[in-house]
Amino acid sequence: MRKWLISLMALVGLAVGIIVSVPAAHAATPNYTITTDTTFPPFEFQTDGGKYRGIDMDMLKEISKRENFTYTLKPMSFNAGVQAVQAGQVDGIVAGMSITDERKSTFDFGTPYYKSGIVMAVSPKSDIKGLSDLKGKTVAAKTGSAGADYAREISKKYGFKVTFFNDSNTMYNDVAIGNTVAAFEDQPVMAYAIKQGTNLKIVTKPAKGNWYGFGVKKAANAELLKKFNAGYDKIVKDGTYDKIVKRYLGDGGYNYKKNAADQTADKTTIWDLVKENQSALLNGLVKTLELTMVGIILAAIWGIFLGILGVMPSKLARGLSTTIIYIFRGLPMLVLAFFIYIGIPNLTGQKIPAFTAGVITLILNEGAYIGAFVSGGFKSVAPGQLEAARSLGLPYGKAMRKVVMPQGVRLIIPSFINQFIITLKDTSILSAIGIIELTQTGTLIIARNLQGFRVWLMIAVLYLIVITLLTWLSNWVEKRIK
Amino acid sequence: MATVIEARDVHKSFGKNEVLKGLNLSVEEGEVVVMIGPSGSGKSTFLRSLNKLEDISSGEITIDGQNVNQPKVNIDKIREKVGMVFQHFNLFPHLTVMENMILAPVQLGKMTKSEATANAKQLLERVGLADKADVKPDTLSGGQKQRVAIARALAMNPEIMLFDEPTSALDPEMVGDVLSVMKELAEEGMTMIVVTHEMGFAKQVADRVVFFADGYIREAGTPTEIFNNPQDPRTRDFLDKVLNV
Repeated sequence: MRKWLISLMALVGLAVGIIVSVPAAHAATPNYTITTDTTFPPFEFQTDGGKYRGIDMDMLKEISKRENFTYTLKPMSFNAGVQAVQAGQVDGIVAGMSITDERKSTFDFGTPYYKSGIVMAVSPKSDIKGLSDLKGKTVAAKTGSAGADYAREISKKYGFKVTFFNDSNTMYNDVAIGNTVAAFEDQPVMAYAIKQGTNLKIVTKPAKGNWYGFGVKKAANAELLKKFNAGYDKIVKDGTYDKIVKRYLGDGGYNYKKNAADQTADKTTIWDLVKENQSALLNGLVKTLELTMVGIILAAIWGIFLGILGVMPSKLARGLSTTIIYIFRGLPMLVLAFFIYIGIPNLTGQKIPAFTAGVITLILNEGAYIGAFVSGGFKSVAPGQLEAARSLGLPYGKAMRKVVMPQGVRLIIPSFINQFIITLKDTSILSAIGIIELTQTGTLIIARNLQGFRVWLMIAVLYLIVITLLTWLSNWVEKRIK
Repeated sequence: MATVIEARDVHKSFGKNEVLKGLNLSVEEGEVVVMIGPSGSGKSTFLRSLNKLEDISSGEITIDGQNVNQPKVNIDKIREKVGMVFQHFNLFPHLTVMENMILAPVQLGKMTKSEATANAKQLLERVGLADKADVKPDTLSGGQKQRVAIARALAMNPEIMLFDEPTSALDPEMVGDVLSVMKELAEEGMTMIVVTHEMGFAKQVADRVVFFADGYIREAGTPTEIFNNPQDPRTRDFLDKVLNV
């Protein structure tokens, strides 16, 4: 009993340590956190080596060299990236982002670097030839993108509905398999994707000609913007910028889709796929386990506290416990995660690292469930037990600790094991705030090799293996306690 | 002899339902009081009010001169002097018989663990269960459980013992063992208040029998007075029913 109490305390210490040690060491050269889209070729995409490449990426790299700063790249869905800049969670965004009047009210943009426009693409077999054929149909657009704004703007006029996606690949697939009839996308992106083998065709002229720009939060990061503009001038003057664009859009440029196709052509077994992505998968798995362990330990502490509060004689304590449980059990975990990662920094201006935000989300959400079954467990101990203990002269606290709680704990162990497994699965939701855990790892691998079925199968099997191991471990612990 | 328990004009309501309607009772040191009456007459509620397991609505209950319902009186200190035995035993199932018995004396600093263990062994011997010290309660029969529960209450060396229908949940052949333990205790001079349906025990052991009905104490007196010459028609009616089956 003692021994495992000590190891539990060690684990808690470790958990707290991981959270506290997250802020990075101070460096002499300025280091910026910059977000980009998970996949938006030819501007950003992951290569087979797991590195980010593309026009935006190469440009950023060259500019940072010229202007002597370093950066940490944080790929996330475009929509989350835009919000992360606004929340001050990241310093800037380079993601083929269109400069619009609306965005100018909340962003400062650097020198416009690429001219684009919005086109509509449909399946090659489709008989849709223009906007007027869209009446009563549903089209696809990427959340928060200029294409989405455009589609929404004209949807009334042409009488269609818009479905939103978080990344381009999923959107293209949706149109290709016929769930939606057309995609609204930036012209260079669409043209590039088609050139690379995406099975769609463009049927409209570029509309809403717009420029791409590097964005920072309005009036918040003039220094970084200045550096970007100065560096951009330099790489335009010495011809580096043109080289970069040619590298991706010129003939014989880096072929993203072909690369993916090649990769899958000679690597046919799923085992090869595993070997190919071994380190990425391992890192994702470790991150998932870290989140789960830290999350469940701290959530258990918080939950037990809530549970005890819920059986106290004081009405105030019980009311507080019930209210907290009600709120955090009622909130969808995704909303809670966004609220903590993006909402709170938006209000306070204080950054919260994604991992910490993720752990806090788990503590509040899983803790509420744990609190509910802990107080339920204590309440289900026969009332005669407390009466008997009190009638012997034991004060309330002692009676609870020595008589009621030990019996309650035995009742709630199965729920604890269950919650442990639920927590592991729930960590996948945290991929939405850019934590590269197992699920996000899967998304990133697919964005690169387009092997949806095999990759998700791999990820699913990994989850099942870990859950099986956890179940064994939990059963072993359960036996030891009994 | 000194008065150890004094109840004055005790009222108790559950919501709108008044279950104790102005009760008065005083108990002398060493006295054995047996409370009888039909179910729902308020005798268990009254007994539980004596050590504040139930809060009363109005009136006054004092134990050794201390008012149990005054907020500044430490009820835990009073409960240390007042042992209680429940109908459903309420042994702690996660602890062994010995652990059940030494929990309170050790936790409350009354005895060291070895003193408490020695004391508990004697008590277990007295109730005839010396060989059961290290088993868990769920391996015991009902009668054995109740004898352990009595021993557990005695382990705190109480001045007063309260019994709330101690034999009602037992198989008939177990009742005798428990009653004989209680009888012995009475003979040793323990102050006892017993709620029971065992009329034989009341006749034999009680110094005073108190008859409850409808939230009132209808009648109180020696066993002879109550059983042979009941004054109140409700008492006569009740005894008629329970004695002439």
